[in-house]
Amino acid sequence: MRVAKARRFVVSDHPLPWLLPLVAILLVFTVYPLIYNIWLSFHEFVPRRRALEFVGTENWVQLWNDTRFWQSLVITFTYFAIALVFELVLGMAIALLLDSDGFGLGFLRGVLTMTLVIPPAIVGMMYLLMEDPQFGVISYLLQSIGLLNPNNPILATASTALAGVLVAEIWQWTPFMVLIFLAGLRALPPEPYEAAMIDGASSFQIFRRITLPMMSKVIAIAVLVRGIDLFRVFDYVFVMTSGGPGASTYSLSLYAWQQTFSFVKWGYGATLSLVTLVIILVIANLFIRIAKVRW
Amino acid sequence: MATVEYRNIAKNFGHVEVMKDVSFGIADREFVVLLGPSGCGKTTLLRMTAGLESVTNGDLLIGDRRVNDVHPRDRDIAMVFQNYALYPTMKVFDNIGFSLEVAKVPKAEIRKKVEWAAEILNLTPYLGRYPKELSGGQRQRVAMGRAMVRNAAVFLFDEPLSNLDAKLRTHMRVEIRQLHNRLGTTTIYVTHDQIEAMTMADKIVLMHAGRIMQIGTPDEVYERPNSKYVADFIGSPSMNFIAGAVETAGGSPHFVAEGVSIGLSPEIKAKPGQKVIMGVRPHDLGISDAGEIKGEVVLSETTGADVQIHLRVAGYDAVAVVPRDERRNAGAAINLSVLPGKVHLFDAATELRVA
Ligand SMILES: Nc1ncnc2c1ncn2[C@@H]1O[C@H](COP(=O)(O)OP(=O)(O)O)[C@@H](O)[C@H]1O
Ligand SMILES: [Mg+2]
Repeated sequence: MRVAKARRFVVSDHPLPWLLPLVAILLVFTVYPLIYNIWLSFHEFVPRRRALEFVGTENWVQLWNDTRFWQSLVITFTYFAIALVFELVLGMAIALLLDSDGFGLGFLRGVLTMTLVIPPAIVGMMYLLMEDPQFGVISYLLQSIGLLNPNNPILATASTALAGVLVAEIWQWTPFMVLIFLAGLRALPPEPYEAAMIDGASSFQIFRRITLPMMSKVIAIAVLVRGIDLFRVFDYVFVMTSGGPGASTYSLSLYAWQQTFSFVKWGYGATLSLVTLVIILVIANLFIRIAKVRW
Repeated sequence: MATVEYRNIAKNFGHVEVMKDVSFGIADREFVVLLGPSGCGKTTLLRMTAGLESVTNGDLLIGDRRVNDVHPRDRDIAMVFQNYALYPTMKVFDNIGFSLEVAKVPKAEIRKKVEWAAEILNLTPYLGRYPKELSGGQRQRVAMGRAMVRNAAVFLFDEPLSNLDAKLRTHMRVEIRQLHNRLGTTTIYVTHDQIEAMTMADKIVLMHAGRIMQIGTPDEVYERPNSKYVADFIGSPSMNFIAGAVETAGGSPHFVAEGVSIGLSPEIKAKPGQKVIMGVRPHDLGISDAGEIKGEVVLSETTGADVQIHLRVAGYDAVAVVPRDERRNAGAAINLSVLPGKVHLFDAATELRVA
């Protein structure tokens, strides 16, 4: 029998042609913008001349002395830490509950993915409405149990606005953690659990000494992926509070956006986004080093 | 202090029946070996005893308590898993000491017990390692140590020595028996290795395809196997079998097959003419000029003190084990006799013992 020879479109055995498309994409969409951004941070747009001018380290000095930058950094860190803790703990708790073959749990696992397909800006709008002081359901419920003063709307009060935004954030992204943790839990070997039962361990002891350590790599990845995303928070604050009231919800990304597009300070905006990138890189690397597990 | 009793235990995995009507009891302080070929259901029976596998039918009793529906945690058993089942995220020390840790035993006492077990198991240098940094044999010993530090009512061992080299295995055999003599814990020990079974057991339970073939002391199982299957399984090299019939010649019963005629003891239960299979252990064949069995040596293998002589007897292959100074060369003619009272007869149809 004659076997047709597969037609070869690419004849080279050299690795370079195979890598070229990916390298090209990286160059255009990652390397070039990064370099351009660095270049931009040493320049500033001068509106009256409609041109970029070299300003040396002026942007960086300004950054160091900019109280609004430091304030937004603190807000971003707070947002990052609170959201991460809630999403981790809730995500793990729900994953543990769903990690069995009980009736209807498969359906619930499917439903969970639904929050993830909604654009964050839409989720922001949903919560903006739900937290509305006049006809929002969350405001209504909190007011009716006396936890919320009708004169202090959630998103228009400096002390509660960040919490109001965090609710949307946590609602949308906890299921993401649940899915990652569920996948991790499902992949755990059953033997250590059998051994632990026979060794007399209680459910809590098994969770703390068996499940949690075995999940540490999965948790580390979840923290990394989610943490990086959290640090760049933009959509929710943009839609729900525009950084207000005052500057109480002004995140770093929102501030960089404002400088770049509202104030047309391209150089300073570039500097702010570069700083965000550096902070993320440093934290992520530290975390990877700390979370390195030996077993 | 505990007895274990299996009453008509059956086990199905889905529609597959892997165990049927298994019944036997284990006395307090007894060391019982579950012996059988791979896949016969030893692990399944052990896991049911531990509560890791449900019992499809029948009653399982530990002490006086029916434990079919009792959680493994509450059965007071220690187990060595066939696949070790170590805790991958814990170092050897914590693996061995985990049961004590969860029982809130003081740290100093945990240390003492873990170090004691590690000493016996030659694991002292490895206490600070993770399981994945150990060899198979070392992991198996960690699994062993995890059970040893327990003060359980029943010990379950699932082929705990299968991955050790010959020397360490012999050493561990002795250690396990000594441990049992000292602690007196009721023990169920699973193995497919008949040497382990013969040397360690108070009582052997021989299984095959999910059924019990024979229960008895090592001597009983070796000397009076109740079926051809048991006779074949126990003993190394295996028993020689020749198919033939019982006939009366000159007033006394004889076993007769092509080219072979062996006198049997007069109180034999077999009826004249009954088709039977005769079995003789290689060790029960002796070289003697007056021997009734005439054969030709095919091959002589020296195993140390003994020589295994493979021979051909009138169309059958047979093996005899003789002292090394009675070695014969290939091709030599040889006369063998069966040591008195060492003939086993099994019915040709049922393969059950007739004498
Ligand atoms: N979880 C399972 N599902 C289906 N069949 C199984 C399962 N575990 C064991 N078996 C079957 O049960 C029989 C006995 O297995 P096992 O108890 O592991 O044998 P042994 O330990 O004596 O080698 C085998 O035929 C095996 O294929
Ligand atoms: Mg097994």
